[in-house]
Amino acid sequence: MSEIKKPVDLTKSDKHKPKPALNFLLLGAGSMFTSMIVAGFLVGYLVDMVLKTTPIFMLGFGVLGFIGGIQKVHKLLEKMDLMDPASLKMVNKEESKKDVK
Amino acid sequence: MGTVEYIQHHLANNTVGEGFWTFNMDTIVISALLGALIVFVSARLGRQLTTGTPRGFQNFVESILDFVSTNVRDAFPGHNPLIAPLALTIFVWVWLMNAMDLIPVDLLPYLYQVITGDSHAHLKVVPTTDLNTPLAMALAVFALILSFNIKHKGIWGYTKMFLFHPFGKFFIPFNIVMTFIEEVSKPLSLGLRLFGNMFAGELVFLLIALIGGTLAVGAAALFWAPLQAVLDLGWLIFHLLVITLQAFIFMVLTIVYLGMASESDH
Repeated sequence: MSEIKKPVDLTKSDKHKPKPALNFLLLGAGSMFTSMIVAGFLVGYLVDMVLKTTPIFMLGFGVLGFIGGIQKVHKLLEKMDLMDPASLKMVNKEESKKDVK
Repeated sequence: MGTVEYIQHHLANNTVGEGFWTFNMDTIVISALLGALIVFVSARLGRQLTTGTPRGFQNFVESILDFVSTNVRDAFPGHNPLIAPLALTIFVWVWLMNAMDLIPVDLLPYLYQVITGDSHAHLKVVPTTDLNTPLAMALAVFALILSFNIKHKGIWGYTKMFLFHPFGKFFIPFNIVMTFIEEVSKPLSLGLRLFGNMFAGELVFLLIALIGGTLAVGAAALFWAPLQAVLDLGWLIFHLLVITLQAFIFMVLTIVYLGMASESDH
């Protein structure tokens, strides 16, 4: 019985594998930015409708969406910096820092 | 019919009902027919599968399956039996709906008008140029994202994401609002991207069709018919790339979002 192999847990084995397809998120970076602003205005508009405070939350959430959009795109582009274009593999952050030094 | 009326006529749906309960029948029927076509072709092919070196249509379908499964393997951590069939369905269905754009813009509406005998009957043949279709698909993906998040992170884990992300524990009210906006923006960007690209593509086809065809300008406009044919062909070839790319982006982003939702640590 001990010879029977345990099923491979793909979740664990793949966890630290480089994920080149995550780069596809970069395709949507522009629309992600705009839709964050639109979503901010939308959520704010709905809150304003409920609280009858138009346009306070709409403007406030719109600004928050703008900030969130910039932050999100910045985060995505940071990942792109760590990409080795030749092999499309994630380069270790620490290794890349050492190279700079 | 003037140019403005021509464009407005082509961009209007065939509707039933009023107000909130308006059903865009052309969108519903055409998308359902295309879905049925996928099921029919798959079932037919499934009965005729051969082992060994695949040939003809089976070879073509296997290459699509390979393409989708490679993308799923690259983008999705671990294994989930739902993802590959979902990705394949999205890719093929969205591609087919987009491909309706390649049929001459006046052909199906004209045939419909002849059949019904109503010269003003509306028929919008590309379901993805109706905002309801991409948004409905994006909402279905969003529901999956929510369920994957709760399944893999747990309710508390998912709530923690709202509370402490992105600015840490001292900005909880801002974090809740920003994470909520971020989550809402996912289906919004998925749906609006597909709709925007397809709507713009359809509009360009309509504008090209107006070059030689508009009767408002008179028969002299037929002088431009060769230009219309060249432009139409050019835009059609380019549009082949657009419809494939949009179906691909919708599929890949769905896999990526579900992959992010199924990672236990955020």
